[in-house]
Amino acid sequence: MPIDVGKFLKSPEYEIKITTYRDIFQVEALERDRFGEEYRKLSACIMMGRNDLKKMGLKAGDRVRVSNNCGSVVVEVKETKREEPGGLAFMVNSPWSNALVSGDTGGKGIPEFKNINAKVSLVKDEVTTLESLIGIFRK
Amino acid sequence: MVTCTGCGLLCDDIEVVVENGKIKETRNACRRGAARMRGCMNRLSPSVNQKPSDIKNCIRKAADILRNARSPMLFGWSNSTCEAQLKGIQLARKLNAAIDDTSSFCQGILIEKVLQKKFRTCSLEDIRDKADVLVYWGSDAQDSLPRHLSRFSYFPRGESRQRGYEEDRIAIAIDVRESNTAKICKGHFYRIPLKGDWDFILALMDALSGKVPSYDSKKMLELASIMKKAEFGAIFLGIGLTYSIKEDFDILQKLADMLPNINIMPMVGPYNMRGFNEALFKETSFVNRVKFDGKASHDSSYSIVEALRNKSIDTLLIVGSDPLSSLPRSAISHLANIPIICIDPCVTLTSRIASVTIPCAYSGVENGGSAVRMDGKVVELTKILTTNFPSDEEILTRLTEAL
Ligand code: SF4
Repeated sequence: MPIDVGKFLKSPEYEIKITTYRDIFQVEALERDRFGEEYRKLSACIMMGRNDLKKMGLKAGDRVRVSNNCGSVVVEVKETKREEPGGLAFMVNSPWSNALVSGDTGGKGIPEFKNINAKVSLVKDEVTTLESLIGIFRK
Repeated sequence: MVTCTGCGLLCDDIEVVVENGKIKETRNACRRGAARMRGCMNRLSPSVNQKPSDIKNCIRKAADILRNARSPMLFGWSNSTCEAQLKGIQLARKLNAAIDDTSSFCQGILIEKVLQKKFRTCSLEDIRDKADVLVYWGSDAQDSLPRHLSRFSYFPRGESRQRGYEEDRIAIAIDVRESNTAKICKGHFYRIPLKGDWDFILALMDALSGKVPSYDSKKMLELASIMKKAEFGAIFLGIGLTYSIKEDFDILQKLADMLPNINIMPMVGPYNMRGFNEALFKETSFVNRVKFDGKASHDSSYSIVEALRNKSIDTLLIVGSDPLSSLPRSAISHLANIPIICIDPCVTLTSRIASVTIPCAYSGVENGGSAVRMDGKVVELTKILTTNFPSDEEILTRLTEAL
């Protein structure tokens, strides 16, 4: 039986800059039920322009691991509806984006919520759950 | 007509249909406001150490924890009425505690400058009646203060702006992302690179003083000309800009000084963040990050983020906020080590790990009071529904008494 080499190969990783934003539908879902499926669906995602997606061999609906030295989350890929200059991805402000924001504020108390450096790679894993983001804080 | 507490606009033109003790329908509210008024699905219940309890016992237990704390912090406040905020500040004084609110990692610096009268500012009614040039800078109002453009800035008819957006007003967006607000500002969207605000301000100042700007000179000269010609303009400063220039607000002040007809207005998301900032400013001359100790001291080490990072607090009382959701995970591991007391109408990520949870009424829906709109106007809130939940003000009063 031939060995499925692809199984052992790691998908390539791409460096990406991420900025965060607010979305009225996600805020609406947050008001209603921050533990609900709707909020997760609207939060646990990363948006990229068509050219960036092409460059990385990704498409809308794929799941990617977004990670840096602050944390790592699996989220769904979405394509922005607008033309983007490229090189910048977008995540709506949420516990998922906050898993990637550096806590180092240079002593100033304002984290870089809108300026995240991370690596993105295609995965088959499930989207990170809110429960797993709270998990380590339980006493 | 009632007031919506969905965001810092505090829209006071909301109609509600109440059926069986619940809000069945809202009119005039945006999606965000309608969702806020209908309330959350998971109401918080009283608990001590994750076990069901009653409110009386929870307050007693919270008082015990606070009495034994050596360096407590009281945090949250931007979703509470002015009356509850005052109670919170009194409690912080009594406990010699640190007190901070969400403006600490959002618009606090800018609001402080406005309260110190470092910027020329105006009311939202002035904008509606007079404004001809509207600049949304690092702010996607359409998604965060959804009725800003329709009630006050771009779309309405105003006393001196009879033709609204069709002829009398120009809306401009400066942003790293083509936001929904930027989409409306057709032909006047200035896309800047991440962290590019500083260079953009310098280039704009060059253009305003007749020099050739180093950066996108054609568009920059066009923008400078629009801003110079403004009869009554406003720059709405969002967190995009605040996060980008952080403490370097002097440069913004220099820009504002070059534009005598333009007002500066911080965009405030949570409904009463400005109320808390004004109340603390009145008492201490600081808008946030204060530690009481006979006197009031102010330092960035009293900010929620630094206090958690430095592990310098041993107890956290949270009112109407969810730091586990809104702060970087890498900064908040200390939340796992300290007792947390949560006062909130709803279950939050933080309430799930709290030692004591005390449910409260939804302010502006289940209890009245007052709040400060994003431009500083005091607005009365109405009690629409009857509930058995005490208001956060009442809980804080009872907690102070129990101490
Ligand atoms: S704009 Fe803000 S205050 Fe007005 S209805 Fe929407 S959420 Fe409520």
